[in-house]
Amino acid sequence: MRTAERTDTFWRRVRRFRSARAAWIRVACYASSIALLLGVWQALGHSFGVLFVPFTTTMSQLWEMLHGGPLVPALGVSGKLYGVTLVIDIVVGVSLGLVLARLKLIAAALEPYIFVLYATPTISLVPFVSVMFGFEFWSRVLVAVVISIFPILLGTMEGARSIPRQHLDVAAIFGSSERQLWRDVILPYVTPYAMTGIKQSIALAMVGTLVAEFFLNPDGVAAVLLQGTTIIDSAWVLAVTVFVAALAVALVGVGELIERHLVRWRRTAVG
Amino acid sequence: MAAHGGRIVPSDSRRAGWWKRGLTPERIAPVVAGVILLAVWELYVRTQLPDFVATPIGIVLAIPATVASPSFWSDAAVSLGSIVQGVAIGTVAGILIGVAMGRMRELDWFLSTYIRALYALPLIALVPIVILWVGYQPAARLIIVAISAFLPVAVTTADGTRAIPREYLDVGQMFGAKAHHVWFGIALPTALPHIVTGIELGFARGITNAIAVEVLASVQGMGMSVFEKSGQLNENASLVYVLALAIFAVGIRTLMIRSRQRLAPWYNT
Repeated sequence: MRTAERTDTFWRRVRRFRSARAAWIRVACYASSIALLLGVWQALGHSFGVLFVPFTTTMSQLWEMLHGGPLVPALGVSGKLYGVTLVIDIVVGVSLGLVLARLKLIAAALEPYIFVLYATPTISLVPFVSVMFGFEFWSRVLVAVVISIFPILLGTMEGARSIPRQHLDVAAIFGSSERQLWRDVILPYVTPYAMTGIKQSIALAMVGTLVAEFFLNPDGVAAVLLQGTTIIDSAWVLAVTVFVAALAVALVGVGELIERHLVRWRRTAVG
Repeated sequence: MAAHGGRIVPSDSRRAGWWKRGLTPERIAPVVAGVILLAVWELYVRTQLPDFVATPIGIVLAIPATVASPSFWSDAAVSLGSIVQGVAIGTVAGILIGVAMGRMRELDWFLSTYIRALYALPLIALVPIVILWVGYQPAARLIIVAISAFLPVAVTTADGTRAIPREYLDVGQMFGAKAHHVWFGIALPTALPHIVTGIELGFARGITNAIAVEVLASVQGMGMSVFEKSGQLNENASLVYVLALAIFAVGIRTLMIRSRQRLAPWYNT
């Protein structure tokens, strides 16, 4: 009886502590997890030797590669491919999505093929693309775009299809012109949907860039990664991998910020 | 004005017309589009490009010889076997970690930095370091596929188990549910449709990354053969392999959509 009571109060105390100190616990969890990873990495690195170098070695290698090393020109090459890919994704994805939502017959005609192309591992089409279009810049862009355009295309289509009838009717009653209909009704309504797709495509365009660079004659950041594998330099490969991971987290974070901003705008506009 | 409004909303604004039952323009259109696409492809290659480039007719003609060769089946067995095995490992680990993260805030805070960082990272960037660690071996493919499935399953399971409606927990508490009842009796079933979505994503990424490992690490399999056949200028055979991979991918996707409808009929999309 007494023990039961005591355990009961103990768990209650734990629960009270967890909710009262939530903010502190949160910070402590984040800090300890990062400290633990770095500690384990450092310790393992010292015992494993060549194949798994310590965190500090990795960071100094990264520092070296970013200061006059091979990573800077590679980032320029990859950045250009990434930027062009994302711009094409957005421009073509949004306009094609709107057109397909409006022209039902063409959408019905193309939908099965879009589904199959979306499900097909695009990476397996790389040899075909290279035979058809070569290994040059635009052929890389094609591969990267096919990998990353679908979320924007499908998101925009879904948004344009779900515009409530009443919105369009009200616009029609007030005699809005085609241009006004697009500017004041369709585009504002579709923007959040397109933005959800753009957020995903920001991440996928990175996958597309790397796939294009790995498999259409190595170039850019992917070539630097492969170079490290060939010379069996784990500091080299780890440094680039960590850098790419940080870049990916930053890009996804930017996408989420923009989306949140737009969603907030939409909520205030509706409410 | 209402006319072009009517076109953008696909619902019941469609007028019943002159066409007969079953043979609607919407049904004919994909066939017409398919024929046009294939014809353009065939003619473009025949008139503009060298002989070895794949054409639709060439691919169809290459199917019997490719499928009859034993290497096709051994490639399919190792690739698809390793994909299924990797996704299974990743799914089990992902569900366990995901439920724990969804139900314990502290664990979520502790792990989320890494899980979200890895989730954002294109996993193809991990292929070189994994090759460096385990060598040019089939094990590299299994590891990458397992990670590819683990991440989306863990994230979707955590999201699904975190967002349990309050009432479910109240009812559970009223009936004296223990922690494990809440975890596996309430949280897990509630999260089921999310988990299936995670597995679907895991398969999609797993297939792509398996091909990437095969090509980069020279591991035998379907992805390797796609690139090898293309390198030998045997383009039609290469695309037969692509076709087989596409059928597998579409099949898995359809299976996942079906099973989500079956397991959670209340859950849409």
